[in-house]
Amino acid sequence: MEYAITTDNLSKNYGTFQALKGIDLRIPKGSFYGLLGPNGAGKTTTIGILTGLVNITSGSASILGYDVVKQYKKSRSLVGVSPQELNFDPFFPLDELLMLQAGYYGIKRKDARDRAMELLKQFGLESKINVKMRQLSGGMKRRVQIAKALVHDPPIIILDEPTAGVDIELRHMMWDYLTKINKEGKTILLTTHYIEEAEKLCDTVAIIDQGEIVIEGNPPDLIRKMGKNMICVRVNEWDTKKTLDNWDYTVVNNQLHIQTKTPDMDMPVLLNQLSKLQVQVLEVVVKKSSLEEVFIKLTGKSINV
Amino acid sequence: MFNIGFLTLVRREVFRFLALYKQTLVPSVISSGLYIMVFGQSLGSRIGPIKDVSYISYIIPGLAMMSVINNAYQNSSSSMIQSKFLRFIDDILVTPLSGLELSTSYILGGAVRGSLNGILVLLIGMMLTDLNVNSWPMTFLYIITVSWTFAALGVIIGITAENWDQISVFTNFIFMPLTFLGGVFYSIDMLPEFWRGISQVNPLYWMINGMRYATLGIYDTSPLLSLLISSAFAITFTFVASIMFSRGYKIKV
Repeated sequence: MEYAITTDNLSKNYGTFQALKGIDLRIPKGSFYGLLGPNGAGKTTTIGILTGLVNITSGSASILGYDVVKQYKKSRSLVGVSPQELNFDPFFPLDELLMLQAGYYGIKRKDARDRAMELLKQFGLESKINVKMRQLSGGMKRRVQIAKALVHDPPIIILDEPTAGVDIELRHMMWDYLTKINKEGKTILLTTHYIEEAEKLCDTVAIIDQGEIVIEGNPPDLIRKMGKNMICVRVNEWDTKKTLDNWDYTVVNNQLHIQTKTPDMDMPVLLNQLSKLQVQVLEVVVKKSSLEEVFIKLTGKSINV
Repeated sequence: MFNIGFLTLVRREVFRFLALYKQTLVPSVISSGLYIMVFGQSLGSRIGPIKDVSYISYIIPGLAMMSVINNAYQNSSSSMIQSKFLRFIDDILVTPLSGLELSTSYILGGAVRGSLNGILVLLIGMMLTDLNVNSWPMTFLYIITVSWTFAALGVIIGITAENWDQISVFTNFIFMPLTFLGGVFYSIDMLPEFWRGISQVNPLYWMINGMRYATLGIYDTSPLLSLLISSAFAITFTFVASIMFSRGYKIKV
């Protein structure tokens, strides 16, 4: 398999603090890959190494086979990055800002102009072409930030918290756009605090905690493996002498909590059994485990802390 | 080296200061005009000619050098520190540009501003006095070398500095005294033996001396040595600035 991004035993120390403890990543070309982890887990450090903002302590990393240190000219030209912290050049209006960014990557001015206009239109910023970043709202600044990552049309796009502080409408617009460009062949590496975002967009996620990858896989698989699903049935009255055979369950106040990995498939069987026991069912709710629960289980932390 | 990426960053640096011309070009025109009028026209008339050149003409090359030095240094140091503080330096560090390309782009921005200011001061001098430039090619050569040197130093200080104060420390406590003591307003020959010796270790003395030769055709000491000294500083500072960029000193973690 051809990989867009690989890291081998990648480590980074800040003084005595080990931010990354030998990370091995294999991100296939064309994938939509999510890196999840609590604050300080090492996500931004990993991205920094891939893009040349952080020096490696030991190990190596490469972009489409090009070493990020020894072949940095090639590796950096293949990546576009949108950093977590909003940053901007205060001197230039949006169109110039994007043209400059494209220019740094060696794109001719005329092509840079076309590309800048295309992206400004795509992100609904046509009316702000002559405006400077300072005058934009937070959501608009974020859009410009992402446009900067895309302006040289790189095959790999790294987005560090792209939807932080962005309203729901814009978030959905960005999701649609990112899904579209991923389908067109771009590899996307995303870090996010919104698990829903990772679940919805990513074909593979890795959970990173304290500088180590704790688990990697596609979201439904991880949930199936690590999560707990449940069918909750509220009944008219539960006679404690009755038993549900072959089910792992608890009863609290006439409410049955039945553990199952496949709630949708088990539901008819369960209801059938309850009807044989002559129990009157009042309400049935399926509670599916989410990636968030997997995350909390593995890291012991909520992602939003 | 002279690829589109490099030229784009140079373009950014030059357009940045041109957009801020009220801060970057006009002040040295005003201050040099004032120096020429106050020191040259009023006080200068009471001071005799130095090396057969009228006092007012004598100080103009030094004033041009002062302007070159300050502007070249200010441009690259402030551009660097600003891009560090606002973190948009990250947008530049993630691009394929090498340490040498990055440092020379910032240096060129400062060197262009320094040179433009130096030329403006000479033009003001020509308008207000009877100054006739001895050799324009030599003058350009000195202006470019010195502005490059101080722009490169500005990059180094800009990378190292953690606040604006540290930038102005150099201007106020180092460049200003060294420029004045380097013979902007007098000839070193007018000093007692001891101070003349001390002045010779001041690199700015050599730079001002060279510039005076280029513009007026007179000198205290070898103009060629002046050019060699300036070039040596320019090369050393450029080398150091490039290494700092490549290693990410204070700009990468």
